[in-house]
Amino acid sequence: MDAEARLQQDDTRRRWALALPAVTIITLFSILPLVLVVVYSFLTPGDFGNVKWQLSFEGWFGVLFERDIFDDTVSFSDAHLTILGRSVALSLATTFITLVLGVPTAWFIATRPARQRAFWLFMITIPFWTNLLVRTIAVQEMIRSEGVFNSLFLWLRVIDAPIQMMFTNFAVLLGMAYVFLPLMVLPVYAAIEKFDFRLAEAAYDLYASRLYCARKVILPIVRPGIIAGSILVFIPSLSAYVTPRIMGGGKSMMLGNLIEMQFGQGRNWPLGAALALTLTALVLVALVWYTRLTSGKRKDV
Amino acid sequence: MLDLRNLTKRFGKGDSAFTALHEVSFSIKEGEFFTLLGPSGCGKTTLLRMIAGFEPPSGGALVLDGRDIAQMPPNRRPVNTVFQNYALFPHMTVAENVGFALSAMGRPKAEISETTVRMLDLVQLSHLAHRKSGELSGGQQQRVALARALAPKPRILLLDEPLSALDMKLRKEMQVELKRLQQETRLTFVFVTHDQEEALTMSDRIAVMNGGRIQQIATPRELYDQPANRFVAGFIGETNFLPAHCTKGLLTLPQAAASLPVSYADGPVTLMVRPEHILLGETQASALTLTARVERLVYFGTDTHVHLQAEGELTLIARVQNGMRSGAPYREGETVTISLPSEALRLLPQEVA
Ligand SMILES: Nc1ncnc2c1ncn2[C@@H]1O[C@H](COP(=O)(O)OP(=O)(O)O)[C@@H](O)[C@H]1O
Ligand SMILES: [Mg+2]
Repeated sequence: MDAEARLQQDDTRRRWALALPAVTIITLFSILPLVLVVVYSFLTPGDFGNVKWQLSFEGWFGVLFERDIFDDTVSFSDAHLTILGRSVALSLATTFITLVLGVPTAWFIATRPARQRAFWLFMITIPFWTNLLVRTIAVQEMIRSEGVFNSLFLWLRVIDAPIQMMFTNFAVLLGMAYVFLPLMVLPVYAAIEKFDFRLAEAAYDLYASRLYCARKVILPIVRPGIIAGSILVFIPSLSAYVTPRIMGGGKSMMLGNLIEMQFGQGRNWPLGAALALTLTALVLVALVWYTRLTSGKRKDV
Repeated sequence: MLDLRNLTKRFGKGDSAFTALHEVSFSIKEGEFFTLLGPSGCGKTTLLRMIAGFEPPSGGALVLDGRDIAQMPPNRRPVNTVFQNYALFPHMTVAENVGFALSAMGRPKAEISETTVRMLDLVQLSHLAHRKSGELSGGQQQRVALARALAPKPRILLLDEPLSALDMKLRKEMQVELKRLQQETRLTFVFVTHDQEEALTMSDRIAVMNGGRIQQIATPRELYDQPANRFVAGFIGETNFLPAHCTKGLLTLPQAAASLPVSYADGPVTLMVRPEHILLGETQASALTLTARVERLVYFGTDTHVHLQAEGELTLIARVQNGMRSGAPYREGETVTISLPSEALRLLPQEVA
């Protein structure tokens, strides 16, 4: 081997050595758990939880079908599908609500004088530093049967009996929209704050109406911020656990709760693992769609 | 065509109020290349923004073709702006930028594309029509901004220091190009600059501004030859100022033996003379003649600046054209006779400098 080749080999070795910590961490905390989940999804449930090391497709089978305990007849299980559908629908609705509330809020903050912006951003992020459980219970306190709203409306005689708001889709939606709102406001704010308002002035000078300027100049330029906010809200909504657990109870369950159940009372770890992988796949689809949207922007228009 | 009548602009309220423009009045004629010239902070941009409609006037009227447009929003005024930073839409192509105004007005597709092609041709950018505006050089962006503002055929084109971001060579080219465009389109241009040379070479008329006030409005030649006050004289070109005195129709300069008959009010005056009008080593019948010492010679290629020192701390700069003979015409330390011909002298009211 000549000197140059040896040098090159040394170089390669050094590069590997440098990459080792990162590779170790990724393997240990990301790839290994995922492999574990995949393996578990193909095993047989143990009698008291855990798994037996026996290959089985029952876990994946159980995502969509049910086997009768007595006669082994197979039937389509719409219970899981309902929960899956609800998860996607509630997450989309959460994204939509945070968009409707978050974009004007971000606009408001970004158009304040520079000194005031820090204050408004602080107000938006305070709840973020508070424990998620505490925040969710605060929302519960507002809408439960003896809560703030019902008491107020009863006292005002707007209603005769308390309205059942807890343990409904509405409750879950309200909780999630409240909890995830800052995740929408912050990236949208960052995009609007960077926007050069002289461009809006130029559009206005060139006979654009306010609406035309918003549609053709402001929106296309702040769009990456809006998409980032939507993704930041949609993905944690899809896998939300605490909020649907408290606000929805057993009635308005989401995917996160269903998965937890399989590892708890359900004692069906393979099914839980298969459901968790289904959720991961959904998240991946959302992410792929996101990268398409943001990179496609540069090609078309 | 456009009349500004006592236009005033105040920013802020109460004690912190600041008057950026004081009762500005003038008229711009159809097809004119009109320049607002003044040092930075004198209110040029503010005045331009008022004409465009971005700043409501605090007082006065703005009349375009007989109609007061002071309250009309920018998107209804037949006036377009070439912004100082160009303000091109970064997410659009060059062609989309140029067609923006017509699209916003809802004109038919065919008309938009036809106008866009014509405008890009006018600024010689047809080959870049499909580039994103961020991928262009400064000079190209400048042309796109120009084409974009010209496309909707405005009554007046406003240009806010459009050339200040360009390097010297490109700047000279664009000066010629802009003038050509203005003459070709016969459009009224209101051009803002702080560069007196740029103003002199391009404009039909120039309004010199300082501290939110118009100092003088005149053609470039008039401004140079007959400045209305010391500020204009000092801002446009190079000038010597000499304190002098008028008594009973006679102008006396302490350093000069003879005096000159003038028709000017009695009292102290400021005498103004351009460096190129000072005669060295010559005497003339109707002139103020004095002796001075050559302090320093500065060679400029086409001419030499001669720094002179006369009695009473009076310093003067004369400009002598360099002939075909090589070698300096004077030596430093030499004493020379200089004359200030009467036709080169301007009398200005004495101001506290
Ligand atoms: N929006 C504003 N608020 C307060 N003062 C302003 C504002 N715009 C301009 N000014 C002041 O008005 C004066 C003129 O500014 P400007 O018109 O930009 O000058 P120029 O364009 O001649 O450099 C400056 O002193 C500037 O600080
Ligand atoms: Mg300016």
